[in-house]
Amino acid sequence: MMNPTSILLIKVLFVFILGTAALIIMQKSLASLFSLYSVQSLLMAVVSLVLFKETGSYVLLSLAILTVITKVVIIPYMLNKVRKDSGIHRDSEFRYLTPVSAILVGIALIFVSYSSFYRVFQLSQDNLFFLGAVIGVSLALLGMLVIISRKKIVTKAVGYLMMENGVLLFGLFIAELPFIIELFIIVDLVIFILLAAVLSMGIDSTEEDLTRKLNNLTKWFKQ
Amino acid sequence: MTTSLLEYFFINTFFVLLVSPLFMGLIKKVKAHMQGRRGPPLLQMYYQLLKLFKKETVVSLNSSFVTLIAPYINIIFMLAASLCVPLVFIPTANFGFGNVILFLYLMVMAKIFMAFGGLDAGSSFGGMGSSREMTISAIFEPVVIIVVSALAFVLKTFNIHEMFAATLVGPSLTNAALVLTGVALFIILITETSRVPVDNPETHLELTMVHEAMILESSGPNLALMELSHAIKNTLLMAMLINILIPWGLAVTLTPISWLIGMLAFLFKGIVLAVIMGVFESVTAKSRLFGLRTFFILAFSLAFVTIMFELLV
Repeated sequence: MMNPTSILLIKVLFVFILGTAALIIMQKSLASLFSLYSVQSLLMAVVSLVLFKETGSYVLLSLAILTVITKVVIIPYMLNKVRKDSGIHRDSEFRYLTPVSAILVGIALIFVSYSSFYRVFQLSQDNLFFLGAVIGVSLALLGMLVIISRKKIVTKAVGYLMMENGVLLFGLFIAELPFIIELFIIVDLVIFILLAAVLSMGIDSTEEDLTRKLNNLTKWFKQ
Repeated sequence: MTTSLLEYFFINTFFVLLVSPLFMGLIKKVKAHMQGRRGPPLLQMYYQLLKLFKKETVVSLNSSFVTLIAPYINIIFMLAASLCVPLVFIPTANFGFGNVILFLYLMVMAKIFMAFGGLDAGSSFGGMGSSREMTISAIFEPVVIIVVSALAFVLKTFNIHEMFAATLVGPSLTNAALVLTGVALFIILITETSRVPVDNPETHLELTMVHEAMILESSGPNLALMELSHAIKNTLLMAMLINILIPWGLAVTLTPISWLIGMLAFLFKGIVLAVIMGVFESVTAKSRLFGLRTFFILAFSLAFVTIMFELLV
């Protein structure tokens, strides 16, 4: 059984993680978006540290260190570098959903993940792990929401990164560790590809530009 | 030893009246410092109220009796609302006050009479201000209700006195649900007191003013009462946030010493919160009217997640 203070601490951290997710959905300024992402990753690292303190498993410690190094420092630094190079500072375009409706849909998504996990976890008595699973999955869904509702590729990349955070949280609380690492690698690859796309195509491009550029390649296959 | 309604009224309401202008002055001072100005003296609002109370009332020829009575009705509703929120100590009996819905309605009634005062003179500015204030209010009121019901759901009571008593014994800052509601309450505080993203209290520019336009027609003691009522509303909502999140120092033993400690503790926490509000106002930009819903929906979603958190654990 876990220490009650650790449980309270983890719950408060969950609150802040959800808060950063809501702000990422609404935020228009790219610089704030990246710092929100790095704050979210830092909170994630703290959650994993608290779990390390409780269980003593060194995998969790290394996970926290890895998170701080890559997601709090390196990835936001890279994204900021791209932002400075391209001179684009805002992504104010929304597709399908305005910030308000995106938040409402986000609430619905959290509720869906809650109600879908409710049945499963009725059997076990451990609330915290249930909470971790719900918030992890809803974070992943909210990341997808960001990908749907934002137009610029770099913001979509932040959505992917948020999804990855969700997967990490889910893994911390529910899944077996080798399984997480597997998911980690897959999602990280996706992010890598996206970042590569951002770097190669330019931050200002939207997905339509990408298709147009790729369409040019079809003439290679013509006779 | 039990306290009578009169005792409670004297201590609580007079304390509210006493500290409200101080917090308003402090927020102005903090904002001025953030902008690199020296700003008005800390006690400027006291001097201003004294000056206004000494002046005569000038009313428009087109106005009716409503202009004359609206400020008085407004301040009466506000003072009644102040009984709902204990600042210094929680009385043993709550005298029928303290229902959170009652508190909201009293504040809305005060606001309505302020809007009547703005409309009555028939000037374009007053009408515009009242119309804008009521529009924002109509959009925001459902959010307030949701936040308050989340609070009632977490603390299992509709009575503000009992809410504070509950947060005083339980851990409040470590309770995730209450932290969430605290953020939502901060948004309510900013919106209801007409501060920057929603309204700019400094401006007298036609395009941007909301609250100021509404009280533009009042003068002399009428204006003083309107401003005082605004300051009281500010203090009450601050007290709501403070006593939910950090209720330390709220007196439970009914001795003068503990009241004094309660007053000092509230003063200290209020000063910290006022500084935070001033800084928040300085670092945010005024949002356009149609962009406000983004700000409001944040409070709504936080309240909703609070309810869900409470269902989960």
